[in-house]
Amino acid sequence: MKIVVCVKHVPDTAEADVVITPDKKGIKKEGLAFGINEWDEYALEEAILTKEKYGGEVVAITIGGKDSEDTLRRCLAKGADRAVRVEDPALEGSDAYALAKALGAVIKKEMPDYDIIFTGTQAGDDGFAQVGQTLAETLGIPHAALVTKVEIQDGKAKIHRELEGGLEEVLEIQLPAVLAVQTGINEPRYVSIMGIRKAKKKELKVLNLSDVGLSPDEVGEKGSLLKLEELYVPPVEKMAEILTGAPEETAARLASILDEKGLIPK
Amino acid sequence: METVEGESFGEKYDLFVCLQCGKCTGSCPLSMRSQLNPRKLVREALLLENEAVMDKDFLWDCTTCATCRLRCPRDLQPVEVIIGMRSILIEEAKVPSTVQEALESTFKNGNPWGRAPSKRVEWAAELSIKKASEGAEYLYYVGCTPAYDPRVQSVARSLVRLFDAAGVDFAILGNEEKCCGNEIRRMGEIGLFEMLMEDNIEMFENYGVERIVTTSPHCYNVFKNEYEGLKAEVFHYTQLLCDKLDEGKLKLTKELKKKVIYQDPCFLGKQNKVFEEPRKLLSSIPGVELLEYDREKMRSVCCEGGGGRMWAEATATGERTAEMRVKEAAALGAEVIAVACPFCLLTFEDAVKTTGYEGKIEVKDISELLIEAIEG
Amino acid sequence: MAEVFVLVEHRRGEIRDITFEMLSGCRDVAKSLDASVTAVLLGKNVDNFVEQLKSWADKILVVEDDKLENFNAEAYQKVLSHLIKERNPVLTLIGHTSFGMDLAPALAAELGIPLATDCIGFEVKDGALIAIRQMYGGKVNARFSFKKSPYMATIRSAAFKAEELGLSAEVEKVPSPLTEEVTTKRFLEYVEAVVGEVDITQAERIVAIGRGVGDYSDEKVRSMIEELANELGAVIACSRPIVDKGWLPKDRQVGTSGKTVKPKLYLALGISGAFQHVAGMSASETIVAVNKDPKAPIFTVADYGIVDDLFKVVPALTEKIREIKGGS
Repeated sequence: MKIVVCVKHVPDTAEADVVITPDKKGIKKEGLAFGINEWDEYALEEAILTKEKYGGEVVAITIGGKDSEDTLRRCLAKGADRAVRVEDPALEGSDAYALAKALGAVIKKEMPDYDIIFTGTQAGDDGFAQVGQTLAETLGIPHAALVTKVEIQDGKAKIHRELEGGLEEVLEIQLPAVLAVQTGINEPRYVSIMGIRKAKKKELKVLNLSDVGLSPDEVGEKGSLLKLEELYVPPVEKMAEILTGAPEETAARLASILDEKGLIPK
Repeated sequence: METVEGESFGEKYDLFVCLQCGKCTGSCPLSMRSQLNPRKLVREALLLENEAVMDKDFLWDCTTCATCRLRCPRDLQPVEVIIGMRSILIEEAKVPSTVQEALESTFKNGNPWGRAPSKRVEWAAELSIKKASEGAEYLYYVGCTPAYDPRVQSVARSLVRLFDAAGVDFAILGNEEKCCGNEIRRMGEIGLFEMLMEDNIEMFENYGVERIVTTSPHCYNVFKNEYEGLKAEVFHYTQLLCDKLDEGKLKLTKELKKKVIYQDPCFLGKQNKVFEEPRKLLSSIPGVELLEYDREKMRSVCCEGGGGRMWAEATATGERTAEMRVKEAAALGAEVIAVACPFCLLTFEDAVKTTGYEGKIEVKDISELLIEAIEG
Repeated sequence: MAEVFVLVEHRRGEIRDITFEMLSGCRDVAKSLDASVTAVLLGKNVDNFVEQLKSWADKILVVEDDKLENFNAEAYQKVLSHLIKERNPVLTLIGHTSFGMDLAPALAAELGIPLATDCIGFEVKDGALIAIRQMYGGKVNARFSFKKSPYMATIRSAAFKAEELGLSAEVEKVPSPLTEEVTTKRFLEYVEAVVGEVDITQAERIVAIGRGVGDYSDEKVRSMIEELANELGAVIACSRPIVDKGWLPKDRQVGTSGKTVKPKLYLALGISGAFQHVAGMSASETIVAVNKDPKAPIFTVADYGIVDDLFKVVPALTEKIREIKGGS
């Protein structure tokens, strides 16, 4: 199996405060911890599990600056055979559509005979949930998003897709295909720092746009269909009544509120 | 067996001279309740292949209290053999998920608690403390647990007030502070430990740090004994405050009429022989009657908080050592169990609850008792 | 007159709520774009759906085909790209659901139409559409402009309210452009998440836990939560990360990919309040949130909030509830 996995290096903003930059086009990166996008970590694990089961080769691809090599090194340490990073100033301002074009171009150059492409269903930063499916379209192959199970059976894959309300849909999909995976599909393995150091010997290629045969006009703002105008702090429509004080006090207040509302069974 | 660096366990840890006397197992606080058996493991390290460790979940039971090392008549280090075996598990990715998360968070966030690095200094929000960049006589290295755990944050805040009261010139690293790696090394993640050590030494040097004072005996231990090339002098806070008491700069004036028993932290007491300073601080508080456990100092019993146990669910069953110690303290008539380690604080508070002594026995860090003695 | 297309989403004989939310929520933007609203219904034997939709749109466009019985992104894409090319709607709206997420990006790419996903609102500025969507887990909102029209957007569940419109739509049936079976993707079956002993949708009181509880496999954490739930007579539910870790079964998950609940009391512990979760619980009668982060979005849906460490608050709360129960 020839397997591609697309990954993204993203800031973790789950707990951290997010501060919008003065130009309103981005957020301040200082003080934020970066790592592999949560969905992509599952995609990577699925790629490696697939290789371990059926044999073959895994190439990990990212679009991003030098710092995203941290994420690629982890991919290599976990079992990817080689990694490719694409960086070019012209990529600045790319939307999901332009990024999918760029990824497609890299894949055609680096692994044109791919059988399966794994991506995460979405990224924790922009949350587009769009790149994998768009990539499939630009490559002219089928896709599925929110994938929670993959079984490969010659030339096809039987997959599960997560729907709403605890329901799943079972599909058969022709390969090659893009499978955009959902979190929880597997249990991503640990990789030690020693493992990451050992993986330094593996190939990590850095390419620019012309290397993958794209012109600057095809990506960035010019090649995009959507443009970020501005970021702003979401208006607070409603705010809970915040109970203040020491835990004993807030707990006592809350307990009496619940009691008044008849929410404590007696 | 071979270590992850490719050396034979026998040679690296000099295991051929082992008498198989079993003192290590006899002294192990877990061996009665778990399959953890240091003597047997030492033997297996010599005779078996690495595959033999793969199904040994109980390796995560070890608290790295190091009693086995201290009791060994041949000066061997069974605890290091266990850590070496954990390293094999780490490299094979056979890691409990909670340990995996702690390690991944330490790599990404600089702390094993899964917390954002930008929130590290939140505990000090209402305090004004110098930044390391401003220079100071002491770097106060807070540590991950005192920085993030709401219960232990009180210890860090108490220490800041005590340092101020005693006129100590100190600064903190704030959000730049990173895990010391003591627990990381003991969980077997050697590469990550080395990375933290290199980063921390570089940061200490950049800020011209000459003296470090720590909240936790664990950070103290690793800086003092395991940081290769660290030039700064390292103190546990009990040592620094005891000096200030001797110099007359720390004045304990308010009375605290309590029977207090002191739990020696393994990484301060038996591993680093700091026994007297904590006791002196406690007995200098007016009104405090200092009690002693039957097993104290070198014979003290581990709280089961070390060696990565804060992040690993033990396979051991039965009464935990901290529970045993709480009951013993109660039998001796103690009203307060004084600790000098964040992990002891957490494990003992739990044990007070599970043994039903809540409201009868309090668990306090020495720093919290000292604050009562200066502020009332 | 220009048209706004709204794709009708249905599954197993029912039109899904997102459809009515979009039909109702797009009226303003349609008006600003000087367009009427057309519900686009693809399926098999859909007369019943047509009846339900009549009062919600200006027009209903119906394409019936055996191959459209179950959702299949590929079959849907073929039909929709045909319809969009044919009728050139100024805006096409699709739900940002498991269905729309699979369909919309490829459809937009095929047609070369700009697509804004997961939108929560729109503005029209100088005749051009601006989409509002969230980033960084809801901590930031963003305005996106489209490079050209026509536009396409997917809409977040519950971003708009479904309000009766009282219209009477004209129905137009269009022959299916599908000539052959879709071969690259084949629907096999639906499978239900395993149903356990507890049905959280029937519970009057729910204690819900999220990432903030830390390690839920830890005995101490688990018993702390269970004690509170016991005192409240509540069932324990959770947000996605707890299920991903395998700490609670899938049927305890609240949110778009789990269950929708409407209990009398929803006590959210260590849940930040990502919209995927909120969509499944916002209709609860009384919502209480305990979270360390004062900026957690959960506080904007909660009635009462405590900004503190749940490990301190929960035991205290359990104790207080015990006292109240004991004293009665």
